[in-house]
Formats: sequence, structure tokens, C-alpha cells
Amino acid sequence: MSDNASVRRPGALLQRRRTEAAGWLFVSPAVLLFLIFVAGPFVFAIVLAFLKWDLLTSPEFAGLANFERLFTDPLLPRVLLNTFVFAFASIVTHLVFGLLLALAVNQVVSRVLGYFARVAIFFPFLISWAAVALLWKYVLDPTFGYVSQYAAMIGIDLPNFFTDPAWAMPAIIFIDLWHTLGFTFIIMLAGLQTVPAELIEAARTDGATSGQIFWNVTLPLMSPTMFFATIITFIGAFQIFDPIQIITKGGPQDATTTIIMYLYEKGFQAFDMGYAAAVAILVFVIIMGVTILQFVGRRKWVYES
Amino acid sequence: MRKTIRRITAIAAAAVTATLVMTGCTADGGGGGATGSPDSGELNFVYMGDADQQKAFNALFAEFNKEYPDIKLKAVGIPSGNWATFSTTVATRLAGGQKIDIIQVATEGQRLFASKGILEDLAPYMEQDQDVVDDYFSDINPNLVKFNEEFASGPDGETVFIPGGFNTMAMYVNKNVFEAAGVPLPENGDWTWDEFVAAGKQIKEKTGAYLTGAGPSYFGDVMPWLTTNGASTFNADWSEPTYNTAAAVEAAEFARSLVEMGLAPEPGGQFDGNTAFKQGKLATLNGGRWPVLGVRDLDMVDDTVVVNWPTNTGHGSPVGWDAWNITKNSQNKQAAWTFIKFLMSKEAGEYFASIGGTIVPARESVASSAAFTDNAPEGTVRLSEAMSWATPIPSIDQGAEAQKAIEEAWGTIIAGQGDAQETLDAAQAKLESLVGE
Repeated sequence: MSDNASVRRPGALLQRRRTEAAGWLFVSPAVLLFLIFVAGPFVFAIVLAFLKWDLLTSPEFAGLANFERLFTDPLLPRVLLNTFVFAFASIVTHLVFGLLLALAVNQVVSRVLGYFARVAIFFPFLISWAAVALLWKYVLDPTFGYVSQYAAMIGIDLPNFFTDPAWAMPAIIFIDLWHTLGFTFIIMLAGLQTVPAELIEAARTDGATSGQIFWNVTLPLMSPTMFFATIITFIGAFQIFDPIQIITKGGPQDATTTIIMYLYEKGFQAFDMGYAAAVAILVFVIIMGVTILQFVGRRKWVYES
Repeated sequence: MRKTIRRITAIAAAAVTATLVMTGCTADGGGGGATGSPDSGELNFVYMGDADQQKAFNALFAEFNKEYPDIKLKAVGIPSGNWATFSTTVATRLAGGQKIDIIQVATEGQRLFASKGILEDLAPYMEQDQDVVDDYFSDINPNLVKFNEEFASGPDGETVFIPGGFNTMAMYVNKNVFEAAGVPLPENGDWTWDEFVAAGKQIKEKTGAYLTGAGPSYFGDVMPWLTTNGASTFNADWSEPTYNTAAAVEAAEFARSLVEMGLAPEPGGQFDGNTAFKQGKLATLNGGRWPVLGVRDLDMVDDTVVVNWPTNTGHGSPVGWDAWNITKNSQNKQAAWTFIKFLMSKEAGEYFASIGGTIVPARESVASSAAFTDNAPEGTVRLSEAMSWATPIPSIDQGAEAQKAIEEAWGTIIAGQGDAQETLDAAQAKLESLVGE
């Protein structure tokens, strides 16, 4: 009714157009940035996947050849397996330790100690990946690193983490956990603080034990937060690159070559931009597919009031 | 609503088109760049240099501008860890539409850039300044001229690079550690693998110091051990890999034995070699000219001597050299040639050497002069002498991938994670597939 009335008023249409234009102007910086840095490169990557291009000479049309290679590339299955192993381990460790730390910090009575704990746990997340990677390379150096030196003092002979194919991926998973756990922790802590205290009080009044309260009240109410953490941890983990490039360069024996590392190697070391773009599209499809699956599966475990 | 969608689609299409145009789809030279004036214009010069080296480069550029104030030199240092990465970065920038007039390319990237037809034939420029060129070429090691012709010519054999300074590999020996262990310094700078091991054992026993570092660096570790055992990663014209020959396997096993004997620290982490050298925990630093900056910073110039790499079958060292070119896209080719002429001059060579350049000057007269040997360890001239027995670092077009395969295999062996023969066989197969591409 009011809409019709406004249309009938003289100058109302002009006014509405002005309001619309103002709206577009306000969002235009974000839209422009999105077009230049997200949509543009995305379309470009799709075009690139149909080309054979080495960066230095003119591109040639390659049809579906780059996509066919995805099915015949002997290294790709190994690379995908590495990536999924890393992503799965990353989700599990981040969720478990993030939640445990959040629960522990939430129990701290002293305000000062609570703030200190939050800052201390979150702090590694603020350090750049380059610094973190180099730091751990020094710390875990098999000869001069203090971890191996202290371990040797108590008679423990540690493996050579970055050159042993069996240990390189666990070492990267651990370093990633150390660096990014603070972020998951903060999310979990925020989620924990949204759990209504009266529900916990009511459960306690009804005689529920701490374990029962955790499993039947806290955890279900935390499930939307955990769902969110699962999605962003998976997306982040699937795109892991920096620590691997700096610490192991994908080695030893391809034990830590993940899909983004592989994409980088194909595009910027082998100058095979077309195939790299096809791999990038594969990454997009996998992340989108897994995220859709997560959304479908959430009905089974996410409590939504 | 439909109108709005149409409008958004139109904006998106325009933006995508603009992005593609802005980023440029190809760096294909195609020629056609303007010649310009030799005394003025804007030049974009790309070189590899980290923060330390850039200080020296900037001083050199300032020196050039004193003579040619109307040539605006925009020098961009790319702090890549290795030349393969540098080549990749430059290629990416060219693909992104960046205007570059001169690229300082090392051996690892020369064949790649030369083969793509994006570099100008330098013959006309050389002819116009034949006296300058003759003076320069008569003062550089004939091997350098030969290598430049063999490995860095254009698709039709044209000269697209002028060779510049180079690096070979040697060892910087900590005299204090050797003295404390009662080990004599290698006579005339020469020693064998056996003598090297014997020295290392005595040093370890008397001082606890490590003899050397162990790493998988293609130039710094792999090639020195291979070439001093008569092996290499590829044959003479780089057409076939030779990474699994008996001599190569023996060299890799020897490098591993240094770790097993405790003469080199276990690879796989990171430690500060310079600090360990200063503290007397490391008896040697390996390198070309570049460790001299660290030795100076540690105030250890007088406590250090440069010796040749230990040998098994004979002298050996890899060599990689810088080279300068003019891109076909350059809008100021004459000014670019003016800058290259400046880089070829004795004055520039001496100036760069004296202010902390991390290469051996191409001109032998400069490499043996005080500009290069002052404030440098005794025996520094051996870096220049090594050119006579050096092997150009094999660098096929798929350089970064080849380097990864080579270093990965070497790293596996020296870490004791794989049998030398089997690991090098696997790397050989990978290299064969790259050559075949």
C-alpha cells in the first residue's frame, strides 16, 4: 500500500532512484574489489584451463586436454590424499584442542588470568607464516634445535622430522595447529559464552553431573559454532601452502605435497599455466562439494534452536 | 529487477575484460620496441638481490647515474632464494604486462629466456661499439665466452646475452678451528676427499666442531661433490641426464658418509652457519663469493682462508654467471645498451667488487685486483681460478622442476632416507621425462 502510494507521489520515483544509486555507490568499492580480485581471476582461471600457456609465449587453445590430464596424472592422487589427510587431521585437532582450551579458559575465575590465557593462546596466530615456519625449522633442527637437544638429554632419540617421509606430514600438522589453534579457540570460547547459564543451572539443579551437562547441554548448544569452525578449518586446511613451501617444499619424497603446493609447482615452476588452472578448478569443485556435504550433514548433528 | 541483473552483468563483464587487459595475456616479445636515445630515457632493470646485495647494487646504479643523469634507471631487485625461482618470478612479471628493458639472468634461466624469442639480438649493438666489446671480451676468461655461446644463444644462434660476473664453489676455512685441532691448512688450497675426512675427524676429536654443512642445494652441495668426482647431473650439452652414474652415486654416498661420521650436522632443519663458524663450531663455510659479506660482518676476514673444494678424481666446481640482455619490448634499447656498456666497463666492475658485490668479476684484471681481494679472505682469487675447471650448472628449460628433483633426491640420500643408487635412479627417470617434454 505504501509502495503504491509513494509511486503515485510526484518525484517519488526520482527519490527512489537516488536512494538506489546511493546504495550502489556505498557498496561499489566492495563490488569493484570483488570483481577485480575474485570474479575476474575466477573467470580468467576458467579460460586459462582451456589453454596451453607457458607465460612467455602466446597461449594456444588446448580444448579439454588439461582436464583429461587430471585423470591421468600419476602424482595427483597422492597429492589429493596428502591434502585430505592434512585437512582431516587439522579439523579434528583444531576442534578437539580448541574446545578443550576454551572450556579450560572459561573455567578460569581470575579475570586477569583469563585475559592472559586468551592473549597467550591467540598470539601465535598473529605471527606471519614465514616467521612461524622458520622458527620451527630452527626449533626442530635435528642437531642444533633445542627440542632434539633436550630430548637427547633424557635419552630420547627423536626422528628427523622434516626429512623422514613418515614424520614430515605430522610435523606440518603440529606446526599448523600451534599457529592457528588460537583462532579456533576464540571461536569456541565465543560460542561457549553464548550457552545460557540458566540452562546449565537448571540441569545442575536437576542433579546432572558435570559430564552429563557437557554432553547433553553444552555440546549440543555449541554445535552451530563447531559446524562453523569445521567449515572454515576445512577450507583453510585444504589451501595450506606457506609452511610447506618454506619448510619442506613438498618433500621428502612428496610426503607433504598438497594440492595448492602442486598447483604452484605446475603453474609457476613448470610454466604449465593451463594445467595449473585446471587443478585450481578441481580445488574449487572439491571445496564446494565438501562444503555442500557439510551443510547437508549438519541436520544430523547441529542443534538449531 | 531484470534490468538490474542485466546492469550487474554488464558491469561484471566490463570489469572482467578490464582485468584481463590489465593483467595482459602474454609476454610474447614480438619485437617492435623503440630504439630511443642512448643518453636518456627510462630503463627498467630487473636483477636478483636480497636486502644485503641491494645496497651494493644501489650504489652501482648511483654511480651510473653520475655519468648518465638523463637515463632514469628503475632497478627492481627480486630477493628470490635461487635463480630458478627468480626466472619464474620474472616470467610472471612479464606475463603480467610489466615493462622490463634489461633482465639480469643467471645461467639457470638463460636458456629458458633465450629460447622464447623475447630477447633482442645484440649483434648490431655490439658492432656499433666493437672496441668496447673487444676490450671486455679480451679481459674475461675464454671459458666464460665459450659457455655463454654454447648455453645462452638465441633460437637461431644469435647473441642475446652479454656475460657478466660469475660464481664458482670453494670452501671458506676457519683457520682458528684448524689451528686448535692441529690440522694443517690444505697446501696450495688443494686437498682430496680422504684428506678432507681425515681433517674432519681430527677437528671433531680435538674441538668437537663440525667439518662442514650438509645440504641438498643444487649449486652449493650437489654439483661440487659431483664435479670433484668427475660426474654431473647432465651430459655436456644438457641433452641427457647423468644423475645415476656410478660416479654420481659414489659422490652422493660420500656426502652421506660425512653425516654418518658426525662430520656434518644432520640435515633437515635450520641453523645459523655463520654464527657456528664464528663460535668455532663449524670449520668450513661453503660458497662462492657471497659468504664474504658474512665473514666481514663476523670480523673474521683474517681468520679465514679460501681453499678449493676437496677432490676425488680432479678439480671441479659448478659455475653460474650473470648475463645481461635487452628485451624486444624495450622502448629504450639504446639507453639499455648504454647501461650494459657501463656494466662491462672496468670501472663498474672494480666499483661493484669494492662495495660488496657477491659475484666474481668477469674481468680477470678486476678479479685479481685489490678491488676484489682487499678486505676478503686470503685465497679469494681461487674463486676466479676455478673457472678454468668449472662445469656450467646444467639448467634445462624446466629448470625449477629439474632442480627440485635433483635436490629432493640428494636430500633423501644425505638424510639416510634412501639408498643412493635407487634414489638417483628414480631422480634420473624424472629428469629424463623433463628433458623429453
